[in-house]
Amino acid sequence: MHAPLTKPDTTRIGSATIAELRRKLPHAVLDESWQTPTQATITVKLDDLPNVVSTLYHEHDGWLSVMAGNDERSINGNFALYYALSMEGAEKSFIVVRAEVPAATEEFPSVTPLVPAAVWHEREVRDMFGLRPVGLPDERRLVLPDDWPEHLHPLRKDAMDYRLRPEPTGDDETYRFVNDAESETTVVPLGPLHITSDEPGHFRLFVDGEDIIDADYRMFYVHRGMEKVAETRMGYNEVTFLADRVCGICGYAHSVAYTTSIENALGVQVPERAQAIRAILLETERMHSHLLNLGLACHFVGFDTGFMQFFRVREKAMTLAELLTGSRKTYALNLIGGVRRDILGEQKAETLRIVSELREEVTRLVEMLLATPNLEGRVKGVGLLDPQIAREYSPVGPCVRGSGHKRDTRVDHPFAGYGRTTFPVHTGEGCDVLSRTLVRVGEFFDSLSIIEQILADAPGGPVLTEDFTYRPHKFALGFTEAPRGEDVHWSMTGDNQKLFRWRCRASTYANWPVLRWMLRGNTVSDAPLIVASIDPCYSCTDRVTVVDVKKAVSKTVPYKEMERYCRERTNSPLK
Amino acid sequence: MFKLLKEVLRTGEATVKYPFAPVEVAKDFRGKPEHVPENCIACAACTVACPANALGMQTDLSAGTRIWSIDYGRCVFCGRCEEVCPTDAIRLSTDFELAVADKADLRRTAVFRLASCVCCGKPFAPEKEVAYVAELLEATAPTKADAERRRQLVATCPACKRANDVVQIDTADVARTMETVR
Ligand code: SF4
Ligand code: SF4
Repeated sequence: MHAPLTKPDTTRIGSATIAELRRKLPHAVLDESWQTPTQATITVKLDDLPNVVSTLYHEHDGWLSVMAGNDERSINGNFALYYALSMEGAEKSFIVVRAEVPAATEEFPSVTPLVPAAVWHEREVRDMFGLRPVGLPDERRLVLPDDWPEHLHPLRKDAMDYRLRPEPTGDDETYRFVNDAESETTVVPLGPLHITSDEPGHFRLFVDGEDIIDADYRMFYVHRGMEKVAETRMGYNEVTFLADRVCGICGYAHSVAYTTSIENALGVQVPERAQAIRAILLETERMHSHLLNLGLACHFVGFDTGFMQFFRVREKAMTLAELLTGSRKTYALNLIGGVRRDILGEQKAETLRIVSELREEVTRLVEMLLATPNLEGRVKGVGLLDPQIAREYSPVGPCVRGSGHKRDTRVDHPFAGYGRTTFPVHTGEGCDVLSRTLVRVGEFFDSLSIIEQILADAPGGPVLTEDFTYRPHKFALGFTEAPRGEDVHWSMTGDNQKLFRWRCRASTYANWPVLRWMLRGNTVSDAPLIVASIDPCYSCTDRVTVVDVKKAVSKTVPYKEMERYCRERTNSPLK
Repeated sequence: MFKLLKEVLRTGEATVKYPFAPVEVAKDFRGKPEHVPENCIACAACTVACPANALGMQTDLSAGTRIWSIDYGRCVFCGRCEEVCPTDAIRLSTDFELAVADKADLRRTAVFRLASCVCCGKPFAPEKEVAYVAELLEATAPTKADAERRRQLVATCPACKRANDVVQIDTADVARTMETVR
């Protein structure tokens, strides 16, 4: 059964791309459905999956945003995979490639050999659903701990209750850290990172003397099982508040991404004013996040007065959030269909006042930071992210923009109130820590101008609609540009007033895989700086293990010591 | 260096005296939810809307009570409870100092009596909720008799209502009613 070739439809952006795909791979596409005028889902034959994803990725400027597994055995007897591609070529849209995986085989051809960006997603789907990606080069677990029972896949509908905590199957850490070095190296374990927020990780640096030859890391020590909780315990609106807590820094971006995914799935017409307010709050969130990162950049180059100054000024962004939402963090302002608070005249005036104060103060601080003599020397040329590696792995945010790729969800796929604003996409050509820092500086000032633009011409009217009903098994993507890059959520409604499936991909998830390349070729003292430059959701690590490959000794260095070394660069802890 | 010094001087003292002096929060700050049991009718709307399961209801049939509870340790200060409450019985205050020495102090409860069904005498819903609904319905009743009938209806438990319906359907001329409707 093949769906007939459809003529490109001009009201649906992305249809020309799909038509071309059908021409190139005539028998691959089985079905085509549209969730929004810029969002299509095509179901393809399982064997053609890698080819289809690779064609869209390489020939039509596609970037892999997320891959979601789904246990659809109760709907159609099979498991399903959804590879969501952000198309950033001539037609800017989202194309989701869907393939069904038979419950009898539980196997699918891995896309990773053709599109390396799929690697974490496929490792995760193997853990969570027990679907085996045949040909996946890296078969290690990603999310599940080493001591998790072999055949328990948490997101299968029949697997387990969300409260179950199975007994560990062993006491050993069995995770293999990968080292591609050809010569002998020393291992520097960095971690378990003690993290200020939510994600401890364990880094292994493979060094030769002071030089990092390779690096590997293990994350997900504190996986919270949010997707499972959302699918089994919470209602649609309640998940909005859970999404707010995906990240302690950019939670509102997740909340908007989640609500947008449901609104897209059900075709909810969100009032314009609500969309404008969402954009204002997203920019407020970006400001405090970027100021935090700029402060940390000061800290890591040993300029602690700058750190203090940035944090002092950042407080104004927090005050702005408190004024507009009633909370400094976790704004909790979304519901499906809009927002819960309007911005009143008095608040608007106060917002404009804070915005102009911020502009003035941050301009001064940035001048000060850039005039710091040791800044350039410390961050220029450090932590290079090769644009080609970036293209292969689909990183997001300032991380990818710092390597010259012009991708920003706000511009490529305008959501919330961004359609009514204009601003440049800042990119850097240096591909280094400096470029990424400067991108953030530029974006901070854009945030101020976006808030002013929206406040100047935001339409009036209601901020919430309840004019819709939930229908089962509707799905769509929702996306935002968080301070660290694109957040993507894929949701499918259920038939019991709960989500059937919620896949939430945070921006840092897309950035971790390239970190390895950014660390290679740098010195150990640069490691904290480089890690901080992707602005991961944590800032401090407890301990670092350094393994000298030549001397075959392993040494654990307290993180404080690593950080001191990064700032002072004297008295190497490795000696 | 000069710029830096200027900035430091310009800033002056950035710290505040808290906790020795109070800090001011925004007017609409979302802090500790305050429950007023006098206004509450134990309808449970808030417990359904609460995303964090901070609010709970427990029914004790033998004692004929329903206990509303809030656990401030679980509360995420979202304000959904305030939004859904029909009687303004719960509101978020601007209080954010919630630390306690004993964890049990984070839990607050309010006990409500259950009303007994006028037919079978078994407790079925909070007294105040029944009274609230009865009053609403009576106020709009066209006649005195209607008002009394509605009051009876609200005071009947769902099981008895169902049983009564069966009897009524049996005695009423259902076929003819359907005819006229058509
Ligand atoms: S504020 Fe939110 S979390 Fe707290 S009790 Fe009310 S509904 Fe629950
Ligand atoms: S919604 Fe209001 S009236 Fe109902 S139980 Fe909660 S506090 Fe009481």
